[in-house]
Amino acid sequence: MDASSLGRRLPAESIGIVGYGQSVYSKKTDRTLLSLFAEAAKGALHSAGLDKSSIDGLAVCSFDLPPDNAVTLAEQFGLSVSWAYFGTAGGAGPVASVINAIRAIEHGHASAVLCLAGDAYDIGGHYRMMDNFNRALRNYGTPNGFGGANGLFAIVQRKHMETYGTRPEELGRISVGQRASARLNDNALLRGPLTIEDYLDARVIADPIRLYDCVLPCAGAEAVLVAPLDRAEPGRGVRVLAGYEQHNHPPDEIAPLRGGWELFRDALYRDAGYGPSDIDFVQAYDDYPIMVAIQLEDLGFCAKGEVGKFLAENTFSFDGSFPLNTNGGQLSCGQAGAGGGMIGLVEAIRQLRGEAGPWQVEGARRGLVSGYGMVGYGHGLSTSSVILEGAK
Amino acid sequence: MTETIPHYPQPVTDADNRPFLDGWRRGQLYLQHCRGCGKAVFYPRSLCPHCWSTDLEWRQASGRGTVVSYSRIYRPNHPAFNDEVPIVLAEIRLAEGAALLARILRGDVESGMEVMLMASAEAAERFPLPVFQPA
Repeated sequence: MDASSLGRRLPAESIGIVGYGQSVYSKKTDRTLLSLFAEAAKGALHSAGLDKSSIDGLAVCSFDLPPDNAVTLAEQFGLSVSWAYFGTAGGAGPVASVINAIRAIEHGHASAVLCLAGDAYDIGGHYRMMDNFNRALRNYGTPNGFGGANGLFAIVQRKHMETYGTRPEELGRISVGQRASARLNDNALLRGPLTIEDYLDARVIADPIRLYDCVLPCAGAEAVLVAPLDRAEPGRGVRVLAGYEQHNHPPDEIAPLRGGWELFRDALYRDAGYGPSDIDFVQAYDDYPIMVAIQLEDLGFCAKGEVGKFLAENTFSFDGSFPLNTNGGQLSCGQAGAGGGMIGLVEAIRQLRGEAGPWQVEGARRGLVSGYGMVGYGHGLSTSSVILEGAK
Repeated sequence: MTETIPHYPQPVTDADNRPFLDGWRRGQLYLQHCRGCGKAVFYPRSLCPHCWSTDLEWRQASGRGTVVSYSRIYRPNHPAFNDEVPIVLAEIRLAEGAALLARILRGDVESGMEVMLMASAEAAERFPLPVFQPA
């Protein structure tokens, strides 16, 4: 930003998301991570109607990026920035990066922040990453043949089933509903038809988790541009009404049936000025249906322990009774590493701008986006959520 | 008859976890106990995560615990385990109060069942971390 405007404060409500972009997703690619980021970044600028010179802040979330980081990425992209952020919260990082980018602009540390998230890996790369994900898992998980995230979330899912009576045929409605949306999305890697019978009959990966509970690790990147809303073309800005994050909660439980959303839920809806029943769609972090289910409980869409009934009574495609992960989500599009924490955010902007085309949610005005991730010794340590609204 | 031990991925020994890993090489389970708040700690730390005391004492554990939940893994993350599927990985609440993730070998498993450390020299030689069996 111009030196003269450093430190110039802006009201938080005047700042929002003015552009979004997404790379092509692929199961395996020779393209570099930087090339995927470049594609998503250029898409975000184009969709904002702004050019490169407007960017003076950079946030990035990626597992594969090291030994690079936010600052060396600025060098790669030829950006001089007054604010840089490298997310550490896995799939909760991208939503958290937007919350923090708004704070940076609010306090005059930047005026337009490009937020990127993505990874360039495949199934084999994902397994290698999980074996060395952090010290605790490397030392006390990997030597047990722990099955990666699948093995850990199977422990969570079994606990939820045995504690609350949640059934696989209920959880499967999430995968099936999202697949119905993905069938219209050319950038979803899994687009074949999926029935509840297919879900229940699929091979067991880590009992009780079956194939269609799992995401496909892939290559891809997502981007949003955070800036004052008056820089967006009329009707194309998106307000961020509320946003919170939480890490390592609860602090001493290997496989908790909660993750931290319950701590900030009331503040989130208080800041937004409305509650769960006023939300037109939800983009929940869908590494596994069981974690979507827990988010739905802890963000107040149903009572704790009653998500099974909620799932049985609703449908989850973009045109269903509860539009969820409306482009197919990670479960159908693939999980582009840390990009999995931004795919829902980008899809929410698309929906609120009325640009989702074949899978547009009718009358979408307000959406909730939720992040989750950074698997530690047993579960994802980080959560984050924002409530968004299309700007008039 | 000798069986080749698979090339399991190994934990990295450091100053914080050495008593735990050395103990298991003798077929024993060692836990840190905090002299500040009295709680047992797993995994090994350089400070008590409950009260931040650095006064942690290593004590041999009873080796007894209860299965809280578990998964039966057919696709291990590391290929060294591929011939042993399904791997039963359980969240176990130890009698001392701390919980850990560990394999359960031999017999069926269900939540709530009592388990005990497989305190044999063979198990300690083969497996990189403590393993359990039905009590």
